[in-house]
Amino acid sequence: MAIFSQLTVNGLIAGSIYALVASGFSLIYATNTFMHFAHGTSVAVAAYILYTLFTLLGIPFYVSAILTVFLTGFFGVAMYRVVYLPMQKRKASNIILLIASIAILIMFENVIMLFFDANVKSLQYIKITQGLNILGATITKLQIFIIVFVIILLLVLYLFMKKTKLGRNMRAVADNKELASIIGINHIRISDYSFFLGSSLAGIAGILIGLEQNLFPNMGTWLMIKGFTGAVIGGITSVPGAILGSYVLGFFENYAIWFLPSGYKDGIAFFLLFLFLLFRPKGLFGLNKGVKE
Amino acid sequence: MIENYLMHLMILIGIYIILVQGYNIALGYAGLLNLGHIAFFGIGAYTSAILSKMGVPFFIGFILGGIIAAIFGYFLVYSTRKLKGDYLALATLGFSFVFTSIMLNWKSLTRGPLGIPGIMKPSVFGVIIKSNFEYMIFVWIILLVCLYIMWRIIKSPFGRLMEAVRDDETGLKVLGKNTFAIKYKAMMISAFFGGLAGSLFAHYLSYIDPNTFYLMEIILVLTIVIIGGVASFKGTIIATFIIILIPEFLRLLSIPSSILGPSRQILYSLILLIILIYKPRGIFGRVDLT
Repeated sequence: MAIFSQLTVNGLIAGSIYALVASGFSLIYATNTFMHFAHGTSVAVAAYILYTLFTLLGIPFYVSAILTVFLTGFFGVAMYRVVYLPMQKRKASNIILLIASIAILIMFENVIMLFFDANVKSLQYIKITQGLNILGATITKLQIFIIVFVIILLLVLYLFMKKTKLGRNMRAVADNKELASIIGINHIRISDYSFFLGSSLAGIAGILIGLEQNLFPNMGTWLMIKGFTGAVIGGITSVPGAILGSYVLGFFENYAIWFLPSGYKDGIAFFLLFLFLLFRPKGLFGLNKGVKE
Repeated sequence: MIENYLMHLMILIGIYIILVQGYNIALGYAGLLNLGHIAFFGIGAYTSAILSKMGVPFFIGFILGGIIAAIFGYFLVYSTRKLKGDYLALATLGFSFVFTSIMLNWKSLTRGPLGIPGIMKPSVFGVIIKSNFEYMIFVWIILLVCLYIMWRIIKSPFGRLMEAVRDDETGLKVLGKNTFAIKYKAMMISAFFGGLAGSLFAHYLSYIDPNTFYLMEIILVLTIVIIGGVASFKGTIIATFIIILIPEFLRLLSIPSSILGPSRQILYSLILLIILIYKPRGIFGRVDLT
């Protein structure tokens, strides 16, 4: 029982982090219909911005955190404006954009390595404390905070997409770009917003991961694979689907340790990703797009 | 000293031309959006390294490396036959991730992250290749044979069928051609040469670990193909020279090796991004990646 509740808690924490990455990715995918694989870079860049502002420069934590979220949002918009938009104007295919996004991912991973070296970094904001004991599972206050915070944040995102005008416009562009243009929605501006919003979510993910774990240069790639797997499981085109898929992945990874050696924990995501892409590319809740396009 | 360094570069260029030209057959000529080619390179390297550790002669391991990679190539095309576009590209990328994670975790076979050290230099018909000079000659002989075979395949009727699959698959189906068969054959050929290159690579470096076949290398291979121009035979050869040699100029600036590694990757990804934005067809490209 104790093992079960511990694995559940671990699954919940992992799922929350993956969900933050996946929701931003899926938000960007839905409005732009290309795979922004460099989304993982935003997470890593955010974590290192926070490290620079807070740990190296000593700016108060909350100020640094808010600055980080904004800077990461603008970083996302910059990627769109500098790389993707010029390509789209030249009618580049989605596959070219995908390759470009992988190039961005690799580039910034190495930029981080260049400026901060390859060693693991730690934010040193929260002292390691004795965990609380819930049904035999150990959980720290920070982890509880992460789980609750992410769930609230994702609910706000859901309401934003459903209720606000900008959210509706985004969904309109996601649904049909031409039609949205005809009724006067500027899809480039909507893309700007989606990149800003999606990358800010990645920024929040970067901060939370920075608090919970250590920082390392290829954390972006690693999280992107997890977030992307979560999005694929749930259905890339649907933000709620991507979130649910991420929790599915988080639980699955952790429960699987019961049957498999723990070394395979990271491998599981790859296998799930591959299986879903092969047999159900539209995911559990997504629209049927992958096969027909 | 300087000769040794130049020979080292020539060996790498020779191996990479086999690898990338093989990739070009699937990606460029047959239009298969494969982002997992590096896994074939890895399969060839591991097969050949493990067999050589078991005492199997080099040439058997070398050919088997290619054949096993080709079998996985068939498996890859078969399992992704219903996917198109981004999804196909990502499933193949996922395939290479699966490969890396198996190599990391199947410790009894691959020693996991420790890698396989001490891979013997090959011996050819009783002659053991020792120096870099001999290995260079050896690699370039194999390269020329491989290039000749690939050139013949591309210029054969089958080569034209591959290009037809890329340009108009439905049209070809209407003519009664089995496009699936053409695709898997193209991928198997591509994977076979990838495997051969992997074997040469493993025996040259004498050490391999799973990280040698990861995302960074995919960028390198993609950069070469795209700069040379997809479906351009000479473009790929010229681009391999350019891309392998460009970062060597960084070495002349005498910067420390901890900076050299990341700088090289940044340079590759920048070159790739710039060419994708301004000249997506590369130097000699005739077709677009779609």
